[in-house]
Amino acid sequence: MLRKHQLPSDEPLRDLPLVEAPDSIWISLENALDAGEKPRGRHRFGFPIWQPALVVASLVVVAGVYWRSIRGTEPQWNVDRLAGIPSIGSEPIDRTGRMKEGQWLETDASSRAVIHVGTIGTVQVDSNTRVRLVTARSTEHRLALARGRIMASVTAPPRLFFVNTASSTAVDLGCAYTMQIDDAENGSLQVTLGWVSLEWSGRKSLVPAGASCQTRHKLGPGTPVFDDAAGSLKRAVTAFDFEKGGLSALDTILAASRVRDTLTLWHLLARVDGNDRLRVYNRMIALAPIPNGLVPAKVLQLDPQTLQRWREELAWKW
Amino acid sequence: MVSLNRREITDDTIDACRRGDREAFRALYDAYKDKVYSICFYYFHGDSAAAADGTQQVFLKLITNIGQFRGTADFSTWLYRLVTNTCVDEARLTRARDARTAKEVVLDSLARPGSQEEDLVRAERARSVQEALSALPSKFRLPLLLRYFDDLSYEEMAVALGCSMGTVASRLSRGHRMLASKLEALRGS
Repeated sequence: MLRKHQLPSDEPLRDLPLVEAPDSIWISLENALDAGEKPRGRHRFGFPIWQPALVVASLVVVAGVYWRSIRGTEPQWNVDRLAGIPSIGSEPIDRTGRMKEGQWLETDASSRAVIHVGTIGTVQVDSNTRVRLVTARSTEHRLALARGRIMASVTAPPRLFFVNTASSTAVDLGCAYTMQIDDAENGSLQVTLGWVSLEWSGRKSLVPAGASCQTRHKLGPGTPVFDDAAGSLKRAVTAFDFEKGGLSALDTILAASRVRDTLTLWHLLARVDGNDRLRVYNRMIALAPIPNGLVPAKVLQLDPQTLQRWREELAWKW
Repeated sequence: MVSLNRREITDDTIDACRRGDREAFRALYDAYKDKVYSICFYYFHGDSAAAADGTQQVFLKLITNIGQFRGTADFSTWLYRLVTNTCVDEARLTRARDARTAKEVVLDSLARPGSQEEDLVRAERARSVQEALSALPSKFRLPLLLRYFDDLSYEEMAVALGCSMGTVASRLSRGHRMLASKLEALRGS
């Protein structure tokens, strides 16, 4: 029986052979294509059901067309006032409002609001915050946070919801998180559920629940750290990322790391060179042995597949 | 993980499929048919008829909808999304078939009378894994099969399964634990 925190393994599944698809499938497929056959839909209705269903569907379509015609077709999101008098554009929100692409939602010291992100989630907008709706499409939901704090909660497949800031883009991977940006365009992300990928100019930090990551103007995202990590480790990470902390900061990070802090070390692998990378690697394997099948040399060469595989095995401990 | 000589599917192949080039479609089919069939086979409890039907539906959907593939995701992620949807839809439509016990079907498909001792041991192991896998609810079965047969990343699986990465991680974790526990029970009995 697997114990909590024990690495799960694909081993039992190795006993399942790959089953060769019979040739008859291709023959049937060609026949189906030649006959112009369509794939089966999601649902099949028998005779007694489809006629009323069609009538209902037609009514829904007509109602939908009418609804869109009276409300306009421009993409927009609903906004509810939570406190005070937030504004969209220059218009104050009474109880509810609608936000169009390009419009700013602004709260003062006494106001707060909640944005309904299409059908995939909500974003609470804290006081003294300025946020703009960039894109409102079913394939891309994007806000820009200029200043202040938001709390996002999104239930959707990865990469449908984004928050731009001056020093990063938070890419939702199905999660809940808080993001804040100050007037100097420095910020922080704290994830409470799921994962967020913080990206900027080719630099990427993957932040799981329970961890945070700082961002800095013109420098982008730093290295993620678990919120329950030692204070010395957190300070050293900030120094390493943004204050030219160098070797002394790295020494502290390595010394203060627990098994769970392999999150931080995994990110550092690609952010240090040569001997320092080897030191990070050695600390990682002292905390959590490298999984079978992964080649140490490939880790040190930063082979993307090897790093991804290791990260996903380590993630069971995060 | 299963290792395969996977033919590289290029943008040209996909473009040719969009234009209705049957040869290109065949190349694409050949590259993925065994993985798709295997996932369907184990998802439908070793029922080869259901697996063949499911595989045919997947590729029929693929060729019908390939114009909708915009290349924003990896092709294989898009394909596995079709596999996932097809498996779930087909299982819903054929609940009676889905309810067949794993044991009766697996015996048909994996046991090979007259094979060598080693083959028999391997078949026996495969049979118990298949039986344990079949006993898992489908929401745990699918992530395990996607992970094993094409080593998809959490993010790719989340797109294919239409859920969050956290959900994928938790279903994989629970799926592995349930599988290990069922195997232990099977092998102990």
